[in-house]
Amino acid sequence: MSRKLLINILSIIFLAAVIIALPITLGSVYWTSILVIMGINILLVSSLRTLKLVGHISLGHVGFSLIGAYGSALLLMKVGISFWIAIFLGGLMAAVIALALAYPFLRVKGIYFVLLTLLTAETFRLIARYWPSLTGGVWGLLRIPPPNPITIPVIGTITFDSVNNYYYLAAVIVSLSLFVLYRLERSRLGFKWRVIQDSEVLAQSVGINVMWHKALNFTIASFFAGIAGALFAHYQHALSPQPTARFGLLASVYLIVYMVVGGESKFAGPIIGTVFLTMVSELARGLEEYRPIMIGAIAILTMLFMPEGLIGLPKRVKLWYRKLLKPKRRVQCPT
Amino acid sequence: MDLPAQVWVQAIVNGLALGWLYVLMALGLTLIMSIMGILQLAHGEVYMIGAYVTYYCCVSFGVNFYAAMFISMVVMAVFGIFMEKFLFRPVRTQILSPIVISLGLTLILMGSAVVGFGLYERSIPRLAQGSFVFLGSAVPKDRIIAVGFAVALLLLLYLFLKKSKYGQAMVASAQSREGALLRGINPNLMSSMAMAIGCALAAAAGTLAGSILMLSPSMGTFPLLKGLVIIVLGGMGSLLGATIGGIFLGVIDGVIPVAFGPAVASMAPLIIVIIILLVRPQGLFGHE
Amino acid sequence: MPLLEIRNLGKRFGGLAAVSELDLDVGQGEIFGLIGPNGAGKTTVLNMVGGTLSPTSGKIIFGDEDITRLPPYRRAQRGIARVFQRDVLFRSLTVLENVLAGFHLLSGMGFTEIFFERPSVRRQEKVLHEKAMEILRFVRLDRQADEMAINLPHGNQRALCLAIALATQAQLFLLDEPLTGMGGEEIEAMMDMIRTLRDGSGITSIVVEHNIRAVIGLCDRVAVLDYGKKIAEGSPKEVVKNPGVIEAYLGVEEDAI
Repeated sequence: MSRKLLINILSIIFLAAVIIALPITLGSVYWTSILVIMGINILLVSSLRTLKLVGHISLGHVGFSLIGAYGSALLLMKVGISFWIAIFLGGLMAAVIALALAYPFLRVKGIYFVLLTLLTAETFRLIARYWPSLTGGVWGLLRIPPPNPITIPVIGTITFDSVNNYYYLAAVIVSLSLFVLYRLERSRLGFKWRVIQDSEVLAQSVGINVMWHKALNFTIASFFAGIAGALFAHYQHALSPQPTARFGLLASVYLIVYMVVGGESKFAGPIIGTVFLTMVSELARGLEEYRPIMIGAIAILTMLFMPEGLIGLPKRVKLWYRKLLKPKRRVQCPT
Repeated sequence: MDLPAQVWVQAIVNGLALGWLYVLMALGLTLIMSIMGILQLAHGEVYMIGAYVTYYCCVSFGVNFYAAMFISMVVMAVFGIFMEKFLFRPVRTQILSPIVISLGLTLILMGSAVVGFGLYERSIPRLAQGSFVFLGSAVPKDRIIAVGFAVALLLLLYLFLKKSKYGQAMVASAQSREGALLRGINPNLMSSMAMAIGCALAAAAGTLAGSILMLSPSMGTFPLLKGLVIIVLGGMGSLLGATIGGIFLGVIDGVIPVAFGPAVASMAPLIIVIIILLVRPQGLFGHE
Repeated sequence: MPLLEIRNLGKRFGGLAAVSELDLDVGQGEIFGLIGPNGAGKTTVLNMVGGTLSPTSGKIIFGDEDITRLPPYRRAQRGIARVFQRDVLFRSLTVLENVLAGFHLLSGMGFTEIFFERPSVRRQEKVLHEKAMEILRFVRLDRQADEMAINLPHGNQRALCLAIALATQAQLFLLDEPLTGMGGEEIEAMMDMIRTLRDGSGITSIVVEHNIRAVIGLCDRVAVLDYGKKIAEGSPKEVVKNPGVIEAYLGVEEDAI
């Protein structure tokens, strides 16, 4: 077995051990619930980054999260479909709508696309707000059931109404999703996405059907946004279309900030950004009202002084260290 | 739909009054967007803070309303210049950074407002009491005064852009940044002026709105969205488009809720803009 | 039968006719030059053949097929490669990766490779890697294979653009000012490469160029455009002596002959 493979496997085992041990170590429902939300955010931000791979920045990702959330919840509540299928269908609904919008939307570039996605997510939110018979209107969707219990032969029946159990469920789903996103990025498909981001014109010239590849990317990113939304719905047991809640403009802002502070050049960037900013928010627990100010300040400082994000920190430190160590050159005076 | 004519007139008048305020927002946004090339998503917060500055001048320092509004415009203009120089100019060449910075600003400004001013709503003393009767419906005087101010500011802006050297330079920069560079126009100066003027207009709009409606830290989001809708409708970089689009949207905003209800009212402008962005992103009058 | 037939091709921008009533035949294995004063419409023609611009009138026939309505990526699949006027490269990729990107048409896209790397995929990667190095050796960039493409000097970037086009295995190359901004030695090298492509692989090239001396040395046949219309066609030597051509260039081009 090659050394690289061994290191990879060991890291994964280590990470898995940490993830499993976390709730037990932290020992409080409060912290575990923070971790659940953080995990859902990690999936959201990572899938947001997937879209960035083809060069599009979206302020509307929460819109697809909304579709997955309401979709999955309604399928369970009104149609009686089991959670395990509903969550997948929720993601699928988000994906289908994304695909329907993909071709016209992805023709729009730059700032216009940002604006377009912003308004689209707002429109989805308003639809949820103004369709009481379906979505509960302004009061939202309440009493969303937790996932159906599953029965494993030797172990017995596992229910998911406890935060702890839900944490492990979310950890598995998020990890699987991240694995898929990561492998996609490293695959030939991911290479083509990078190529398209660099130059759509040149990509066309080498025979790449740019629109199709971008549409595929958009669909996949939105699928996982939908999954994240569904995970949220069955955890929170309630969904609200209020602008300050999870599917409003403010949430979109946070997603972008998480992605950028972590760094969007590497896959791990959004994950690091989300973890870091979640920790920062928690540290300032008493000062909740200062949270937007802190996060806003971090975002601005990052863009001004470390635009590549936290991911670029090791490199920066190395450069700075080297500069520090390099002895000052003495100028030889000509005699 | 068979409502008495007065209701329609009221709706249109209400819409026009608000529409003019949105025009001020849209003009600022379009200047900033076409001269600096950035989407200033924090503009709504500038509007909001402008309103609060006026409020505090009036209420805490007992300053006359008109003077307070002027102070607010100056303060926000200076703030705009500061933002341009230290926050936006360093990242001028990038795509993602300015957006994130404007988002960060939104967070900071709105968060500061919540912390500093509190969540409950207040209002600036009314501009005037009572109302005129026009075509059978009561038009509150304060709305007329607000519109009057807005129109006056618009005319001032128009004169500046048409007649003064700097104004003409700004129009040139708004139409084509490269063209302006070639003619030796200083882009930094243009950017500073765009921010200053844009923020002053937003502050005025916020102040006027604050005197008609209520102040709250979240009051800026709605006008920002309206402003964005208008500049897409009217076209990025087109000042005429922003003006016409604003009035048009104002009327629509006044009439649609009466005719079709709040759901359509909130969604219709968004959907119209979405369609325009898909079909003709440069808007009805725009350039780029 | 000619490889490329252009029939009555025209492009109007509003009231302005950038190109009108253009008829051209390009034969297999030719190096065909397209020259004319600035603004004559040469790049517009190339854009229409490449597919990035759609004509307002006329037809383009490649092989047997009418490709007039095909989008650019389909034309690439049919065997038309485009080298742009400005150095268009994949900025975040290395030199080698740029060429590998050109192999898109060869590499499929398995979905199972998301979950595990099949040995057949790995084998194909090796083969493509070899082919890419071969192409880089041809354009003399093999030693810079792992450098970032944007770090290359201008002349090398041009060569890389050619390499990417080569990777697509195209039969028709559309070269937009391949020699612009290059020094004497680099120009000779580039011209050599284009000639070798014709002689060694039978690749047909349409070359838009301002450097008349190079055009005479390189091209088998030449067409001259002025204000969007073809004013002359023939061997380079003939065309250059054509009085209409000289007049079109008069006062504009210094090194006419």
